[in-house]
Amino acid sequence: MAKYLVGRLATAMPTLLAVLFITFTLTFISPYDPVRQMLANAPVQNMDTAENIARVRKQYGLDRPFLVQFADYLVKLSQGYMGISINGQRDVWKMISNTLPVSAQLGLAAAILTAILGIPLGSLAALRQNSWVDYTIISTTLVLRSLPVYVLAPLMLVLLVLVLHVMKVPRGWDGILSWKAILPVCLMMLGPLPVVIRQTRQGVLEVLAMDYVRTARSKGLSTRTIIVRHVLRNALIPVVTSFGFITEGLIVSTVFVDTIFAIPGYGSVAGAAFSSFDYPVIMGVTLVGSVMVVATNIIVDLVYPLLDPRVTLA
Amino acid sequence: MSEAAIASEAMLSHGQALKVRSLWSDAFHKMVRNRLSVIGIVITALLLFAAIFGPAIAPYSYTRQDLLRPAELPSTDHWLGTDELGRDLFTRILYGARTAVLVAVFSTILSVLLGLIIGTVAGYAGKWADALILRLTDIIMSIPSLLLAAMIAATLKQPIIAWARTVYAQTHWAIFANTTWLDLVIVFGGLSFVSWPAYCRLIRGQILSLREKEYIEAARAVGVPGRLIALRYLLPNGLGPVVVHMTFSLGSAMVLESSLSFLGIGVMPPQASWGNMIQSNIGSWSYRPWLVAVPAVTLAFVTLGINFLGDGLNDALNPRSSKAI
Repeated sequence: MAKYLVGRLATAMPTLLAVLFITFTLTFISPYDPVRQMLANAPVQNMDTAENIARVRKQYGLDRPFLVQFADYLVKLSQGYMGISINGQRDVWKMISNTLPVSAQLGLAAAILTAILGIPLGSLAALRQNSWVDYTIISTTLVLRSLPVYVLAPLMLVLLVLVLHVMKVPRGWDGILSWKAILPVCLMMLGPLPVVIRQTRQGVLEVLAMDYVRTARSKGLSTRTIIVRHVLRNALIPVVTSFGFITEGLIVSTVFVDTIFAIPGYGSVAGAAFSSFDYPVIMGVTLVGSVMVVATNIIVDLVYPLLDPRVTLA
Repeated sequence: MSEAAIASEAMLSHGQALKVRSLWSDAFHKMVRNRLSVIGIVITALLLFAAIFGPAIAPYSYTRQDLLRPAELPSTDHWLGTDELGRDLFTRILYGARTAVLVAVFSTILSVLLGLIIGTVAGYAGKWADALILRLTDIIMSIPSLLLAAMIAATLKQPIIAWARTVYAQTHWAIFANTTWLDLVIVFGGLSFVSWPAYCRLIRGQILSLREKEYIEAARAVGVPGRLIALRYLLPNGLGPVVVHMTFSLGSAMVLESSLSFLGIGVMPPQASWGNMIQSNIGSWSYRPWLVAVPAVTLAFVTLGINFLGDGLNDALNPRSSKAI
């Protein structure tokens, strides 16, 4: 196990390095010049002369070759330094890490709700295959899969606030247990939910055709026991493989949810950075997002063999 | 043996006529019988119609502002009302369809081409080239696609616009005077960069699995020339999944373009994009709900229709699909 873990981490490192390289290259060729920006914003007037810029650039080592700067960036990154934002001159890592707890709560709540809703719905669709129940569930997931958050969010707001009057305008963040979090969590769930429902349905259908299910049935076990003990246990294993995809979906939807509902999360930092072309922050959020996806995939790879003994740790 | 020969043999053995249908006519029949995919075809056709003939049917110019009548409710003058700057919303929606279709079609073509070339290299070259390409797709797919596309668009935008300005200053070519079309080019680039790896893997997988199939081996054994094997056996069998994936990615490209425009880095106003229409009106959803609802519902319908079409195609082109006729 330990050997496998080390091996898996060793293959993940080049991936992360390459992600770093791509994001660094993109930032490098971007038009943003931190030195010019810094001198233009300096309290003393007319500091941004060519001479000054060259001097400060040399002082910060920004005149060195691309690869040297990349190596330097890696060293700084390993010490937790991601640079300074253009707007507000703040530490990028602090900006992101301050907001991560909020997004983690939202993301976890959405993930848990997805499991609570998705697994029963997927199983139900499979057990009633080709009935109206199945068709309703599947076509609903198809509809949900097509709708981006920023399309559904305003429509839901209009429906719930203006037409049905069931809630006030949800804005801001009062903790995950506040009523304001209900709509954001539901909207974030809508990306991963269809995936879980479809995977569960597929898994249950495949397992139901297995010999051991027939054996269990002929032993006289109740349908309930068969479903819970024999079918779901095996059917849910493939669902685990979609975790990386789900993480990505949650990361992307948080960008829109945070922007629309004014939630101080990872997504609000990302959204603001993109719309104001704040390159150091754009690079930071892309990096953090990719690390989360890569980490989830590693966890999936580690957990999968434990769940499915047929897959060996090779 | 020709198809006719097979058919006549089948007739002899069963004593009745067996109608021979090609893969495509078979798929077409399955598509037409599936209610959802018919809805998908209709919506997609409407979208294409709006994209191609939009400027001809649009009652107003997409930039014409009626500053005395901003944010009006639908009326006989303005079928869907006017937007926050007094522009006709119906016209803007039609032009938005044009943007969406342009981006979806071009970025899909670009990523299919990239995926086809690189995937074929990976499938045929094998060894280290294959490993390297797989690893590259791995890397790109591990960056959340919206973030990567947004980062590419944000990075390339200003250098490319600056370049266009210098070109215009030197040559005075009219095409470089207006930079709105460059927004589209940048979006094409960003979207293709994030979506080619999926095609690459799909095509590589198809090549690897089809190469090993018995019927290919059989065809080769009876001396069917390579070109004919590729045309008659490899292409029809390998194309299905690619066509299905292409349909779905037309939908997701539209959503991605709208997402980028929503974030303010895709298609910039005054160019119409459903994403930037939603974005510029989302702040006023509580007192001008239709301004955000109209583009939102349009985008929802269109992506839904394309996904229905994709699902229908998936069932129709997959011979192992359970919904056989």
